[in-house]
Amino acid sequence: MRGGIVIAGGGLAAQRAAETLRRGGYDGRLRMICAEHHRPYDRPPLSKEVLAGVEHGAFRPAAWYEEHGVELELGVAAAGLDCRQRAVSLADGRELRYDRLLIATGSRPRRLALLDGFANVHTLRTLDDARALRTAIVDGGRLVIVGAGFVGQEVAAAAARAGVQATIVEAAAAPLQALLGIEVGSWFAKLHRSHGVEVILGTEIAAARGTHHVEALMLRDGRRLACDHIVVGIGVDPDLAWLAGSGLDPTGVAVDADGRTAAPDVFAAGDAAATYDPVLRRHVPGGHWESAVRQGVAAARAMLGREPQRSAPASFWSDLYDTRVQYLGNARLADETAIDGDPAARDFAITFTRDGAPVAVLLVGRPHELPNARALLAA
Amino acid sequence: MPYTATIDSAACAAHGDCEAIAPEIFAIEDVAVVVGTGPDELLLEAARICPSVAIVVTDSETGEAVYP
Repeated sequence: MRGGIVIAGGGLAAQRAAETLRRGGYDGRLRMICAEHHRPYDRPPLSKEVLAGVEHGAFRPAAWYEEHGVELELGVAAAGLDCRQRAVSLADGRELRYDRLLIATGSRPRRLALLDGFANVHTLRTLDDARALRTAIVDGGRLVIVGAGFVGQEVAAAAARAGVQATIVEAAAAPLQALLGIEVGSWFAKLHRSHGVEVILGTEIAAARGTHHVEALMLRDGRRLACDHIVVGIGVDPDLAWLAGSGLDPTGVAVDADGRTAAPDVFAAGDAAATYDPVLRRHVPGGHWESAVRQGVAAARAMLGREPQRSAPASFWSDLYDTRVQYLGNARLADETAIDGDPAARDFAITFTRDGAPVAVLLVGRPHELPNARALLAA
Repeated sequence: MPYTATIDSAACAAHGDCEAIAPEIFAIEDVAVVVGTGPDELLLEAARICPSVAIVVTDSETGEAVYP
């Protein structure tokens, strides 16, 4: 039996690639290697609805995989890749031969070494993580969130909504400062404070007190934060340790616009893929939901020999306290910002410019302006 | 029902929210496609919840853009 297509990974890019392959007429063998025990599911609800106690379920019912001849390997991770033998080895010792491979193993949350091993320290990436964190929120103790990225902020919003006393600790002088600058970032700090979330900025965790459970966190500025649960949300790294020795880069697999890697018949998509950034002039790993969809579809279309789809630059969205936040472009490049609207009313747009040319747009409470923002950046 | 929906297929990232609330109108393929018709309010609701703002709603009687 031929190896057919093997998809390493069971997230969004993997699922969309499988669907595009079957819809596009691929009728060979198709296997998906999912490290988690759950059928592929959508992650954005994990930091939103799931924390509020509403579960979304999987992308597709089990019957879909049967009807479409997609062999799901659940609860087993890819453990190694031999490009020459065209084989993926699995954590349970098996080896899968492939004709074509899609690397879509996503990313894993960064951890804080000084919090490792404590029972009440959470990260948020998987459904199991979200359920555990939901239990912690229902438990109602004091919650400390380390890192004020979007995941940390969404957790804070969910905790505040559930009436939990939440504290965000962020090393920078404002949430999202590296991306959006201190002024815009400060708006996010104010937003959370107005909902009763404590936001501590400009300091880091120095030590943890407790034995099996962290009872208090000591901050570098000398403060002591008593806590019942901790969430670490300090970013993610591509989940690619299994590529060690394969010749492909375990810090992010460089791909072209079709998702092709340097290895023959090996593609990559989603957080595992590093796409070329024409501004930075190098391949950069990571991305967001929309880029994972598009890369999964693009890689599948390339495997089918079909033309790539034309697509607008990916945008990112978050929902905080019923306010939709959208972002597109790269605000890191900006040297100036212009604001339109009323931040206090949660209804505004910020245009980031460099030498007068728009490089990014942030929309708060203005979802309908996204097409204008796209047009502005495309001009 | 004078409203009609079209998909900006370059903007669509196939989130699937439209299909979830109006499966008789929208289906997700590589991107979303319009497969039927439905009440004006439902078209508008789908357009408003689309995270990519990829659904364009037009009044077919006046030809005017209704959303976005």
